[in-house]
Amino acid sequence: MSQKTILYVEDNEFNRKIIRQLLAQTSYRLREAHDGESGVRAAQDELPDLILMDVQLPKMSGLEATQRLRADPRTAAVPIIIITSYAMDGDAQKANDAGATAYLAKPYSPRHLLAKIREIVPEA
Amino acid sequence: MSWVAQVRAPVQRKLLVAFLLITLLFIAMGAFSLFTIREMSRQSELLDRAHQRLERAQEIHHSLAMQMHLTAMALLVRDEAAVASVLRENNRFNEALAQLEAAVEDPERVVIQKVRAGQEEAMVIVADIANLVRDGKIAAATQLHASREDPLYRSIDARVAEMVQRENAGMVSLRDGLRAAQQRSLVVMASFAAISVLLALGGGFVISWALIRPVYAAHGLLNELAGGRFGGTVTVPNRDEFGELAARLSATSRELARLDAEQRCAAQELGALNAKLEQASKAKSEFLANMSHELRTPLNAILGFTEMLSDGLYGPVPAQYKEPLADIQTNGRHLLRLINDVLDLSKIEAGRMELAMEEYSAQEVVGMVRASLRSLAEEKGLDFKVEVDPGLPEVLRGDAKRIMQCLLNLAGNALKFTKRGGVTIRAARDGDCVRYSVSDTGIGIPTDQLAEVFAEFRQVDATVTREFGGTGLGLSITKKFVEMHGGRIWVESRLNEGSAFHFTIPLRSEIASTV
Ligand SMILES: Nc1ncnc2c1ncn2[C@@H]1O[C@H](COP(=O)(O)OP(=O)(O)OP(=O)(O)O)[C@@H](O)[C@H]1O
Ligand SMILES: [Mg+2]
Repeated sequence: MSQKTILYVEDNEFNRKIIRQLLAQTSYRLREAHDGESGVRAAQDELPDLILMDVQLPKMSGLEATQRLRADPRTAAVPIIIITSYAMDGDAQKANDAGATAYLAKPYSPRHLLAKIREIVPEA
Repeated sequence: MSWVAQVRAPVQRKLLVAFLLITLLFIAMGAFSLFTIREMSRQSELLDRAHQRLERAQEIHHSLAMQMHLTAMALLVRDEAAVASVLRENNRFNEALAQLEAAVEDPERVVIQKVRAGQEEAMVIVADIANLVRDGKIAAATQLHASREDPLYRSIDARVAEMVQRENAGMVSLRDGLRAAQQRSLVVMASFAAISVLLALGGGFVISWALIRPVYAAHGLLNELAGGRFGGTVTVPNRDEFGELAARLSATSRELARLDAEQRCAAQELGALNAKLEQASKAKSEFLANMSHELRTPLNAILGFTEMLSDGLYGPVPAQYKEPLADIQTNGRHLLRLINDVLDLSKIEAGRMELAMEEYSAQEVVGMVRASLRSLAEEKGLDFKVEVDPGLPEVLRGDAKRIMQCLLNLAGNALKFTKRGGVTIRAARDGDCVRYSVSDTGIGIPTDQLAEVFAEFRQVDATVTREFGGTGLGLSITKKFVEMHGGRIWVESRLNEGSAFHFTIPLRSEIASTV
């Protein structure tokens, strides 16, 4: 099995850094995007094995980006984990409606997130 | 009819005048009848007297006839004694004549005096005849009788007969007059009565109309006012108390209309203000929601780095770093709870908190609460028990996440405020509800504060807060969640002995609404 690629769409540098350092210990390859639009483009350019999508993003929200990707036949099957603030009620529902595979509330435990990633796309 | 109303006088005076008028009429009628009765009795007395006079005159007439008869008898039987009877009869005659004279008027007296003179003359002749009879000169006596006495008597008799006739005629005219007067007074009395009755009826009608009409008008206006239509007026012609009353009513109605308009205006302003306030409150909770999101992102990084650090992701952790790392995590989680609480409250207040009703097991929820607080209880050396009534249905309805949050708040408080002894969580059936209870053997709550602990940011006292920490949001959020489920929360406590918090959740709780 070849190396698995994970695309992380998140605007906050520190949160990206956490995931970068977390995945550095693993065999996963990480790609990053800083907003919704570039996230969608990055996924279409090179199909990842899993997408981690923040909800509150500049230019295009994570929910809308997820819908776009689901609507595109090339990216329709890619698993997407939506990471949201627990701020809004019904976020889980909205994530579901947008076509998310899983849903995680901020602040998440890096340990938990890694476990979830491994559950959906086992390491090569 | 309205002229009565227009008269500028109090109603009482109007009524008084009307009654006085009628009373006066009756008094006049009474006076008139009294007068009539007196007149009648006077007339009948006159009649009585006329009757007496007639009787006397007839007596005189009779006595005269007797005298003539007795004289004729004395001549026939040639007896002087018979003449004595004539004298006796003469006495009777004089007596009657005297009585009559006393009873008649002056012109008649002249006639009576003539009769008396004639009679006296006749008596002289009778005495002469008696002497002649005694002397046996019957022929001379008869002669005297025929030539003097008889004509004399006849002339007297004619006078008396005339008198009788006059008296008779007078009596008849008196009687006629009396009868006519009777008739007249009857007519007068009847018309008096008729006029009185008509006047009373008419006056009553007019006055009562003048009073009833404004009452009807006022009634109409009051009906309108009762129906919420203000501003109408009553116009009545009355210039009495009713007129004043109508004016007052109209003024009241206008005042009501003014107040109503004012109140409407105020309500409108209030409504606008309310809408603004609502908007402001929405903006506030939106701001809070955004804030808490913005806070959560860096907090996520802090907690994430700390966890990775203590997980040894960056290499082995020196022993002396372990405690400060744990402290960072504890405080980070506390900050997170605070953010969550503030957010929950602002959502509840903005009416945007919704329950996710699902089926859950009390056993599971209580077990999870115990699991997450067990280490804290152990650290403090407290007993920590959970008891779930076996009679409780396996499957319950409610928002398990929120119910758990409530129990975590209550049990967290119980552990926080207890130094010795223990904390027990119970779940049992209570009618058609499930009742969760959290009891402790802690510091307790003063009786006068029992009701207030559920208020936001309310803590029993500052020293306690400093010692135990916390913000005072836990119970108010718990209360709101319980009430959103349609349940009830209350507390029993004794200072220095312990507290027991209870809340109920209806078994068939379908109330997934806002508070
Ligand atoms: N079990 C208890 N024993 C004694 N006092 C209590 C208990 N539970 C609550 N209180 C009192 O009620 C107050 C309010 O409780 P609440 O849970 O709302 O706030 P807190 O615990 O102080 O702060 P927070 O829960 O927001 O961290 C507490 O500060 C305390 O004074
Ligand atoms: Mg508390």
